[in-house]
Amino acid sequence: MRRIIILLLLLVIALGSAGAVWAHGVKITYTVTFSPTIAIEAAYDTGEPMANAQVIVYAPDDPKTPWLTGECDDDGRFSFSPDPSKPGTWEIQVRQAGHGEWLKIPLDEEMMQSGQGVVTEGGDEGFSTAQIVLMSACVIWGFVGTALFFQSRRPPAQEPGEAA
Amino acid sequence: MHIPDGILPAEVCIAGYAVTGAATWYALRQIDREADPYAAVPKASLLTAAFFVASWIHIPVPPTSVHLVLNGLLGVVLGYYAFPAILIGLFFQAVMFQHGGLTTLGVNTAMMGLPALLAYHLFRLQHRLGLHGPRWTGAFAFAGGAAGLGIAALIAFTLLITTIPADLDVQAEQEAIYALTLAHVPLMVLEGAFTAMVVLYLQRVKPELIAS
Repeated sequence: MRRIIILLLLLVIALGSAGAVWAHGVKITYTVTFSPTIAIEAAYDTGEPMANAQVIVYAPDDPKTPWLTGECDDDGRFSFSPDPSKPGTWEIQVRQAGHGEWLKIPLDEEMMQSGQGVVTEGGDEGFSTAQIVLMSACVIWGFVGTALFFQSRRPPAQEPGEAA
Repeated sequence: MHIPDGILPAEVCIAGYAVTGAATWYALRQIDREADPYAAVPKASLLTAAFFVASWIHIPVPPTSVHLVLNGLLGVVLGYYAFPAILIGLFFQAVMFQHGGLTTLGVNTAMMGLPALLAYHLFRLQHRLGLHGPRWTGAFAFAGGAAGLGIAALIAFTLLITTIPADLDVQAEQEAIYALTLAHVPLMVLEGAFTAMVVLYLQRVKPELIAS
């Protein structure tokens, strides 16, 4: 039992320090304004912007050939004006050192041609800290429960010849 | 270190699943040969939990930042259990936090799991070579922890550098990958030290937990 407590303690320390620090997932938010212009903002889930990350834009009519390539600025921002004659889902890939994300932005014909419209915002916002802590707690409890279950299957530390 | 969906070509993802499938089968067979295959499950389960949260703890190494992986630690302490443990840990990281992805689960597991098994054998070399005492144990645990991470970083480096799509500015992406790989060098030292610390501690309070 003691070893479980020791390891649990390690986990709690890890969890405790997790509040402010996140690993390298990527989240991208975007804003669409009209005439139309799409502006994106890419950041790691640490909050650190993806400075100078590469951006590839694919038009709806040809999702294999890049329509535009470019680079985010130091704050992870990038904007461009999609071709108004190509309504549909525009795909944007942001990528840096093997980290990255695909973003799909649907633009319908009306939005494209009216030259004005509702500003659309969206993107992968990720989970809030509270959600992540709760989800992790559930998963960790699953692992601890598994450990306790298998621990209880046999009397602990009573095998002969183990006195060290 | 976790390669997300949409970065690697499909062939690499499929190959990753093939390697992981074979390695999982091999690891489970080795586990099944032990006198009591269930005996180490509690230990494996708890370390899987530690592995699961480790990717949250990131360490700034300018100009980038890296996060703990702990695959070397799992290898040293768990032996063959490390491979299925890493597979399960990565699955939950991918599903819960999008660290890595389901298409790259095979690649990521092979990338971190195989070095974990190497770390295990490296750690066991101590006994093969007949070197005893806590200092040697610490040294070999350090080597295992550091090598586990280092080799995983090298595999990631090779995978990423050889699969840069032509649409990207290849040189800029290469430079970014070099920088990220180099940032793992201090992390190797850190994880090696952490592994040595955990192993020496466990050896003092619960020596039967460490494979001999």
